[in-house]
Amino acid sequence: MKISRMTIRNFGKIHNRTFELSDGINVLYGENESGKTTIHTFLRSMFFGITRQRGRAARNDAYTTYEPWENPADYGGILWFDRGGESFRLTRNFYKERPYHELFSETTGAIADAEKGALENVLGDVSEAVYDNTVSVGQLKSVTGQDLVRELQNYMASYEGTGDSSIDLARAVQLLKMTRKGYQSQEDRRLREIEAEQQKISGSLSQVEKELQQLRDRQASAEEKSRSLRIGSGGEEILDERIREARRQQSTNLFLFLGLFAACLLAAFFLPEFTGLMIFVRIGLGVLGIALLMAGAYRNSRFSREVRKRQKMKARWLSRQEKVLWNRKTGGELMDERLTAYESLQEEYRECEDQKYARSEDRVEIDALTLALDTIGELSGQITNQVGAALRRRTSQILSEITGGKYNEILMDQNLHMTVNTGERIVPLERLSRGTLEQIYFALRMAAGELLCGKEPFPVILDDVFGMYDEERLLGVLRWLYEADRQIIISTCSKREMEILDREGIPYQGLLL
Amino acid sequence: MRFVHLADVHLGAVPDRGCAWSARREEEIWETFRRVIAYIRENPVDLLFIAGDLFHRQPLKKELKEVNYLFTTIPETRVFLIAGNHDYLKRDSMYRTFSWAENVYFFGSEKVQSVHLTEPEVTVYGFSFCHREIREDLLAGCVPEDEEGLHILLAHGGDQDHVPMNVRSLSAAGFDYIALGHIHRPGMLIRNRAAFSGALEPIDRNDTGAHGFIEGYTDADGRLKIRFIPFAQRNYEEISVTLTENATQGWLEEEIRSRIEERGQQHIYRVLLDGVRPPDMVLIPERIRLLGNISEFADLSRFAYDLPLLEKQYSGTLIGDYIRYFRNSEMGEVEEKALMYGLQALLETSR
Repeated sequence: MKISRMTIRNFGKIHNRTFELSDGINVLYGENESGKTTIHTFLRSMFFGITRQRGRAARNDAYTTYEPWENPADYGGILWFDRGGESFRLTRNFYKERPYHELFSETTGAIADAEKGALENVLGDVSEAVYDNTVSVGQLKSVTGQDLVRELQNYMASYEGTGDSSIDLARAVQLLKMTRKGYQSQEDRRLREIEAEQQKISGSLSQVEKELQQLRDRQASAEEKSRSLRIGSGGEEILDERIREARRQQSTNLFLFLGLFAACLLAAFFLPEFTGLMIFVRIGLGVLGIALLMAGAYRNSRFSREVRKRQKMKARWLSRQEKVLWNRKTGGELMDERLTAYESLQEEYRECEDQKYARSEDRVEIDALTLALDTIGELSGQITNQVGAALRRRTSQILSEITGGKYNEILMDQNLHMTVNTGERIVPLERLSRGTLEQIYFALRMAAGELLCGKEPFPVILDDVFGMYDEERLLGVLRWLYEADRQIIISTCSKREMEILDREGIPYQGLLL
Repeated sequence: MRFVHLADVHLGAVPDRGCAWSARREEEIWETFRRVIAYIRENPVDLLFIAGDLFHRQPLKKELKEVNYLFTTIPETRVFLIAGNHDYLKRDSMYRTFSWAENVYFFGSEKVQSVHLTEPEVTVYGFSFCHREIREDLLAGCVPEDEEGLHILLAHGGDQDHVPMNVRSLSAAGFDYIALGHIHRPGMLIRNRAAFSGALEPIDRNDTGAHGFIEGYTDADGRLKIRFIPFAQRNYEEISVTLTENATQGWLEEEIRSRIEERGQQHIYRVLLDGVRPPDMVLIPERIRLLGNISEFADLSRFAYDLPLLEKQYSGTLIGDYIRYFRNSEMGEVEEKALMYGLQALLETSR
C-alpha cells in the first residue's frame, strides 16, 4: 500500500494542510509539539475510525483529544492511497453529530460507506492490532540497559507467540494461573473436608462391621446349641417319649406284679383240696404273693425314680431352650439395628462420594481457567509455528543488512533469552550497546511488518527512532530503507536524517510542519 | 382445639458437607426438634402432626427411643406420625417393631387408616411410605368417614415419584385440614385447609427462606385457622450483587459484608454476582468466602467486551485468534467463562 496524499481539514492543532507523499522515503520534520503525533493519529483514525479504538488506549478518548477548537463540525480530512493496484480516496468527517465516511475508488468509480465493511475489505489482513504492530514504530521506551534488554526480549517473544508486541503472554498466563490457584485452593479444601468425613464414616463402618461379625458369631453359636438341643426339630418330643416310656415300663411292671400277686391269692383261696397239706400250700402261695408284691413295689420305686429323672431332664432342657431362644431373638434385633446403622453409613459414604464429584462453582471456574490457558497455549503455539521461525530468520537477515554483516543471526532460547551471533561468537544482549539494541529492534519491527501485513506491505512510520543511532548506523539503516520496496515516513525532530540523505544522494520527500 | 403441624425434620442429615458449619448444622437439626417439643410443653396443644421424613434415613432404635422419650414429655398432646420417603418402612425397619408411648399413634401401613378421638372430637387419617418411591396416587378417592368433628389428613409426597395427589379434590371431599410433608419450602396450598409446613430446619442450600412449623387452632366460631411459625436457627439466603463499571474487589467485599451484617451473621449465604464487571477487576474468591457462611459463590457477571469489534480489531494476532476460536466452537458455561478469562488476561496485561 502506498499513501499518495493527505489533506487534513481540521484535526487537533492542524488545519487545512495537504501533504504529498512519495512512494519511497518521506521525512516528516517538525520541532517538538509541532504536530507529528497528530499526523500519526490522523492516519490511524482515517483507517480505523476515531471513536472506538482498541485496547487500553481506548480509555484515552482520542475523539476529545483531537477535536478541533474552531469549526468542530469540520473534523476530519481526506486520504489518497493505492492498494491492490487500485486508487482510493477516503474522506472522513469524525464530527459526532454529522459523521461521514466515504470510500471512493478512483479506478472503478465506486462509492461506498467506509464504516460498513468496504474499507475493511480494502485493508484485508491489516486489522487495527496489526497496524499498531507493523505500521507505526516508536523508540524503545526503557532507559537502562537491563530494562532495555527485557523490553526487546518481550517484543520478540510477543511477536513470536502472539503476533502482537503489546501482548504480555507471560503475565497473562501468570494472571490466569493465579486466579486458578485461588479457586483450586477452595476446591481442594472442600474435597479434603469431605474426604476427612469419609474417613470417619469408614471408621464407623468397620466398627459396625466388627460388631456385626460378633453378633453373627453369637448367632451361629446359638444356632449350634439349638441344633444340639434339637430345638424345634423333635428335641422336646424325644424327651416326652422317654418320659412316656419310663411311665409305660412302670405301669407294665405294676400290672405284672399285681397280676402275679392276685393270681397267687386267687390260687391260695380257690385251689381245690387235693391234698391234706393244702394249708401249707395256701400259706406258701400267700407268702409267694406277698413276696412278689414286695418285689413289684421295689421295682416300681426304681421305675418312678427313672420317670422323675427324665422329667427333670426335660425341665432342664426347657430352660436351656428358653435361654437359646431369647439369645437368638435379642441377637436378631441387635443385628437388625446394626444392619440399619450399617446401611445408613454406607448411604452417607455414597453421598460424600457424590458430593465429591458434584460440579461445584469452583470446579466450573477452574475448568474455564484451564480451558483458557490451554487455548492460549495452543493458539500461541500455532502462531509461533507459522510466524516465529520466519520472523527470526527475516529479523536476522535485516540485522545483517543494516550492520553490514556484523551481526548475522538472532537467537532465542526456551527462557526467551536472546543472543546474537557475530559469525565468530555468540553475544548476549546485555553486552551490546544501546545503539545495537535499537538496530535489533528496528530489524524486528521491519520483519514483523513484512510478515504480519500479508502480501502487500503497509507504509512504515518511524517515529523518532534514530535518536540513539550514530552516523554509521543511521547511514546503514537509511540505505537499507532506500533499497526496501516500501513507503517510509520518518518522523523526526532532528535535521540529521535529511542531511545524510542529501549527502548520500538518496531521494526523499520532505514534509515540513 | 390447637395443633402443631411439622414435617421433614430430617434428623440425622448432614447439610453442606465440606463446609465449616456442617457438623454444627447436624446438631442444630436435633436441637430445633427438641425446641419444638419444649415449645409445645410450654404452650400445650392437643395434637402434634409429623407429616413424614422425621428421619433423614432409616431410624436406629436408639433414635426412635430418643424421639419417643421427647413425646413422653408432652403427655397431654396426642402425636400422629407417618413415615415419608426418606425414613420409609422397609422390611426390617425399626419403626415396624418399635412400641411407642401411649400418646403416640404411628400409621404403619401404606393404606390410609384413621383414628377417631372424642376429646377433642377429631378423626385423623394417614399412611406411611413402605417404599422409597410411590408413583401411584394412594389418596385417589379418599373421603372422610361419617363422624362428628374435624377430619384431618396427614400425607407425605405430592410429586411425580412420591404419591402424586390432587390436594384440591381431597379438600373438596371434606377434609378440614390436610397436613402435608415432603416439599421443603413452606406453602399454603388452600387457605387454612391444606399446607406444606416445609422442613423444620432447612436441609440443603436449595431450601432458601424462612423455615419452621405450622400452628393451627379453631377460632371462636369453630373455624380452623393456621399460621406459620418461623423456628429454624438459620436460613439459606441469597445475596445478589450487581457489578457496575466502578466495582472493585474491596467494594464488593464491603457490599457483601454489610448485607450479611444486615440480614444476620448466622445465616448461610449463596452469593451471586451479575452485571457488568470492569475489565480490570480480578476476583479473589477466597477472600469473599471469608466474609461469612458462604456456601456458594457464583459469578454470572460479564465483561462488557464487544466481541465482534474486538475480533475485528485484533484480527491477525493472538487475541483475534482467541475470540475466533471460541466463536467457532460449541459455547457452554465453561467456554463462555474461558473466553472472558482469557480475554481479560490478555487485554489487561498488555503493554
